[in-house]
Amino acid sequence: MSAVGKDVPHDSARGHVTGESIYVDDVPPLFGELVVDFVWSPYSKARIVSLDLSEARKLAYVYTHEDLHHNRLGPIVADEPLLVDDGLCTFRGQPIVVVAAETRAAVDAAKRAVRIEFEELKPILTIDDAIAAQSFIGETRYIRRGDAEAAIASAEHVIEGVFFNQGQDHFYLESQAAIVQPGENGAMHVLSSTQHPTEVQEVIAHLLGLQMNQVVVTTKRMGGAFGGKEAQATHPATMAALVSQKTKRPTRIVYDKDTDMHVTGKRHAFQNRYRVGFTRSGEIVGMKVEFFSDGGAYADLSPAVMARAMTHAENSYYIANMDIRGTVCRTNTPPNTAFRGFGGPQGVATMENVVEEIAAFLKKDALDVRRVNCYGVETRNTTPYGEVVPNNTLPRLLTELPERCDYRARVDAVRAFNASSQTQLKGIALSTVKFGISFNTKFLNQANALVNIYLDGSVQVSTGATEMGQGVNTKIAQLVADELHIPYERVTVMITSTEKNNNTSASAASSAADLNGSAAADGARRIRERLDELESRIGKQETWEKLVKAAYHERVSLGERGFYATPRLDWDWTSGQGTPFLYYTMGTACSEVLIDRFTGDLKVLRSDVLMDIGKPINPGIDRGQLVGAFIQGMGWVTTEDLRYDEKGVLLSHSPTTYKIPNINDLPEVFNMDWIDVENPINVGGSKAVGEPPLLMAISIWCAVKNALQFVANGDIARLKLPATNEEILMRLTEYAKRGAAVA
Amino acid sequence: MRDFVLVHINGVPHRIAAPRAFETLSRFLRYDQRATGTKIVCEEGDCGACTVLVGRVEDRQSCLSASEGTEPRQAGLPVLHYRPINSCIQFLFQLDCTHVVTVEGLARGGTLTPVQDAMVRCHGAQCGYCTPGFIMAMAGMYECTSHPTVGDVRAALTGNLCRCTGYDSIIKAALEATDQPKIEEIYPSAPIVNAIKQYECDAVRLQGLQASEPPSLPGGQEAGRLGGFFKPNDLASAIRFKSENPKCVIVQGATDFGVWCNKRGFVAEAMMSLDGIEGLGDVRHEDGALLVGGRASLADFESAVRGIVPELVPIMDRFGSPQIKNAGTLAGNIANASPIADTLPFLFVTNASLELTGLSGTRTVAISDFYLGYKKLDLQPDELITRIIIPLPSKDETLRLYKISKRSHLDISSFTAAMLMRRSDGHVDSIRIAYGGVAPVVLRLPKTEQFLTGKALARETFAEAGEIARGEVAPISDVRGTRDFRLQLAQNVLQRFYFDIA
Ligand SMILES: Cc1cc2nc3c(=O)[nH]c(=O)nc-3n(C[C@@H](O)[C@@H](O)[C@H](O)COP(=O)(O)OP(=O)(O)OC[C@H]3O[C@@H](n4cnc5c(N)ncnc54)[C@H](O)[C@@H]3O)c2cc1C
Ligand code: FES
Ligand code: FES
Repeated sequence: MSAVGKDVPHDSARGHVTGESIYVDDVPPLFGELVVDFVWSPYSKARIVSLDLSEARKLAYVYTHEDLHHNRLGPIVADEPLLVDDGLCTFRGQPIVVVAAETRAAVDAAKRAVRIEFEELKPILTIDDAIAAQSFIGETRYIRRGDAEAAIASAEHVIEGVFFNQGQDHFYLESQAAIVQPGENGAMHVLSSTQHPTEVQEVIAHLLGLQMNQVVVTTKRMGGAFGGKEAQATHPATMAALVSQKTKRPTRIVYDKDTDMHVTGKRHAFQNRYRVGFTRSGEIVGMKVEFFSDGGAYADLSPAVMARAMTHAENSYYIANMDIRGTVCRTNTPPNTAFRGFGGPQGVATMENVVEEIAAFLKKDALDVRRVNCYGVETRNTTPYGEVVPNNTLPRLLTELPERCDYRARVDAVRAFNASSQTQLKGIALSTVKFGISFNTKFLNQANALVNIYLDGSVQVSTGATEMGQGVNTKIAQLVADELHIPYERVTVMITSTEKNNNTSASAASSAADLNGSAAADGARRIRERLDELESRIGKQETWEKLVKAAYHERVSLGERGFYATPRLDWDWTSGQGTPFLYYTMGTACSEVLIDRFTGDLKVLRSDVLMDIGKPINPGIDRGQLVGAFIQGMGWVTTEDLRYDEKGVLLSHSPTTYKIPNINDLPEVFNMDWIDVENPINVGGSKAVGEPPLLMAISIWCAVKNALQFVANGDIARLKLPATNEEILMRLTEYAKRGAAVA
Repeated sequence: MRDFVLVHINGVPHRIAAPRAFETLSRFLRYDQRATGTKIVCEEGDCGACTVLVGRVEDRQSCLSASEGTEPRQAGLPVLHYRPINSCIQFLFQLDCTHVVTVEGLARGGTLTPVQDAMVRCHGAQCGYCTPGFIMAMAGMYECTSHPTVGDVRAALTGNLCRCTGYDSIIKAALEATDQPKIEEIYPSAPIVNAIKQYECDAVRLQGLQASEPPSLPGGQEAGRLGGFFKPNDLASAIRFKSENPKCVIVQGATDFGVWCNKRGFVAEAMMSLDGIEGLGDVRHEDGALLVGGRASLADFESAVRGIVPELVPIMDRFGSPQIKNAGTLAGNIANASPIADTLPFLFVTNASLELTGLSGTRTVAISDFYLGYKKLDLQPDELITRIIIPLPSKDETLRLYKISKRSHLDISSFTAAMLMRRSDGHVDSIRIAYGGVAPVVLRLPKTEQFLTGKALARETFAEAGEIARGEVAPISDVRGTRDFRLQLAQNVLQRFYFDIA
């Protein structure tokens, strides 16, 4: 009667389909509630020459940094002001003045009445500009093994290049939102759409001069997050809390979609230089890669994102001599932040690009180059940072998927098609991913959980995990039900609250279910042990309900706090070595694309994905993660095009101009599957699935690159990411011109 | 004359007067009725989270997603026909004599309808924020068909974005729910239609808001100097109102107007709906021409062209979404005068004309003469577009249409093109070419047309024509594409055309 492994529906599904699920802005207004909004810098960089709030104050409550106890926040280093305090605006969208009133109209009127005179300054908007100005966040970091320079110098062949990827907007449907209710003695109760209630709690307490025990932050659910509500849900919640503190009234802040897209950070753009040396068989002997990310104006999570990019630089390939450097650029854009994959996609895309180029250079099939370099099971299985890849299923995946999807025959068919079609071009590629699971920062890898059993045998579980659609609560309930040996229906996972679970980590790094599920299982297990012990004394009870009653009468505790700390992790930046991950989630994907030679239009004809995700706790939910992440990744590599003007104004700031995948964009043939292997080291034998499948969509981008290779006149085809129809047409045009010039 | 609109919501009648009637439906539902299942995400029709069904008494019905066509209904008392629309760009005053069904209105008595049940079973909802919109779009699909194909499902759900699921599970759920009841079975038409019948013939007049009145509407929008609204029941009154209010906006589908209001703070000086006027809603096929009424929806236009202009079908399939096409009108698309409006290149090459009616009667203007400059029209303040006359391509003419956009569906074009060619013996006898997205207005390309006339059908000819075409246009760079991209498309599309017809 195990619940784990069963395809039970998401615990909120019924509410979702009837419209009864409550999100922040669905909560009825509280008595006396104020609408909170803010005036933000309209310039990427500007000095505030004068600030006149006198008119605005006649219309609304108006606050500035002077009303805060402290004014620095940040998940890694507290370097970011919540409200501009030194007269210098450093990104477009940076909050300057907080405004609150009873109605939206009054807030808007007050915002218009805020008079700010700016002196516009020249911003840094690109990675190139930042490098030229030596504008960086933190130090350059290194991971090194062997002697990459020497290996490249003596290699048979060398190629070098620059890989560029754009950012990506999270485009969670529910924009940033929070409701704050002031309590007694300065206390605050906050309902926040956040992945990280503890961070919201900590920042509110610090900035408002409260103790953390005066602030309770709760999160029922988010209408999507994808990393965008890990660090950046804090700002709106804190602005609302400031108003509540000052006015002693409830407050509500809800960004509209355009504001959200303008002011919040995104996935990091990267611009990476690489040099790689390899043999005639395609074996990589040495590689040097320099990562530059666009961190935006403040650190936010950028250093950690860079760390993950660097620890994914070699992806699935054993590279004996490797030199990886990572530098975060400081620019005048909103601080870029966590986004599903967290630097992993940028690192992996860079490497997959290199593999495609080696294949193009050697005129070999890229799958063969991947096979030659793939991590081994017993040997050649240590990463450049010294971690041994455990239970490596990559070689198996790289054998099974090509067979399943008929790769070789389709490669031949693509070649034949391209030789005959004058109007269209096809491309095919099979890419891999090896995604490290655990937070790169060791101390974040812990969780606690509260398990309460009530007199009728029903169970409440509370953890620090936050529900953003990924089904973490459903999985936790399944794990707890099994530990207690009771039906799944008896277990309810409660609203996430810092009152129940303290000092929690963000639901991030794909590990919310791993960590919180383990902690909840630990708590449940300990209760079950007590109950087993009781039964050994008083005899086996007929039913669970009777057992619970008996335990109560025998004064056996029916509550427990579970705890989990991921074993054996360790990381040291001074050496760039350690064991940052507990295990890896692995996968392969093969995609085939069709391109219109005249318009650059792109169609994904087929994608096959085969992954090692362990034994899923809930196969239906995991399949949803696989498909959802893949399609989100497809958006990143194809149509999601963040366009800015020359002053750094985001032009694609709503779904009218920012195009996430639509239902009509699904690959025409789409097979998503996993191999049946248990992951012995993790809860329920499972593996984390939230992020890794997003990286499988890199196969689509590689397929576009493969298609372009057919018309590149023997050169290595270059391609930026995303491969929009415009980018593709521009490359096609360039190659056609060069071809004509040669002919 | 009434000073309120009558709107049924989930079976319950509401008489809504000014100023509340100036609210968007989504805000009214969420913040006035506290029916928060309907979500607001973009407030511009591009995500579908706010999708609801609107039932109207109609004489004709088009079903966008129905491969099997409309199912016959019983004769007798008129029934309500339900279509999904975006409630964020639909104002209450537009909804007079309609029945709105929201996600809260489906599962009566706590039993999920099949689409809801299938979405639960198939894991079609993750974060759930998009889900009510998908449920309503699916319910809308099942109004038209009982056995949808995958193609029907994709078409019906084009207007709904989901960031979590990757859609696969949603498609599966949509296909499984074949016993979904019609809305008619949940809300029998008779009582609602009877209530509507009492009021239908009245014209509606809603007073505007003076600056002295409180600056906020219940949902909180500012509407300081908002003009009044008029829903006449005959054309003469409409024209009189328009002549008295030269800046009056016809709020028909509001798929453009709603976006101006929500995103650009547009405040109209006067507003009018043509819904009460008989005859303007038809689409008729007569003597080799298509006659489209001045308030005919894009959805009705689409179903009319389905059998007769196959080349237009893929373009209309990619035009907006079902929600947009159910609300929006062809006349609105023309009057909005966007150089990237998708219907215009087609109308240009077919030599369509517009019937304009004003105080001094009716005149006809060729579409190519209608646009005087960027968003400047040959339309007098008292005039309305009452009919669009589209001569249909004849058997010996070849029509090709192109829409280039970043995303294939639900995306405004970066570039559009239409070609209508007559040929014989492998030669071009005559050709008309129109491009959109390359100038402030849609352009015909006289030099390119002239060059091609009489030439043999050969790739080189069209390659050369492409270079000429490139010289005839002057696109700008914007969020939908750079100037270079558009120039290249202007050049290449003629080669694409050659291969499509060769
Ligand atoms: C999400 C979304 C997607 C879209 N996708 C596309 C697309 O793919 N392709 C495309 O071309 N367009 C697209 N559009 C725009 C398209 O929906 C509109 O141009 C529509 O056709 C306008 O019709 P309406 O009835 O909604 O006009 P309204 O918004 O009601 O009115 C628009 C203007 O037309 C005038 N008008 C309306 N009827 C008349 C009349 N009879 N006589 C004189 N003036 C009149 C009004 O006064 C007003 O100025 C999209 C819009 C949205 C919101
Ligand atoms: S809210 Fe996005 S379409 Fe209405
Ligand atoms: S379920 Fe989250 S947006 Fe669709």
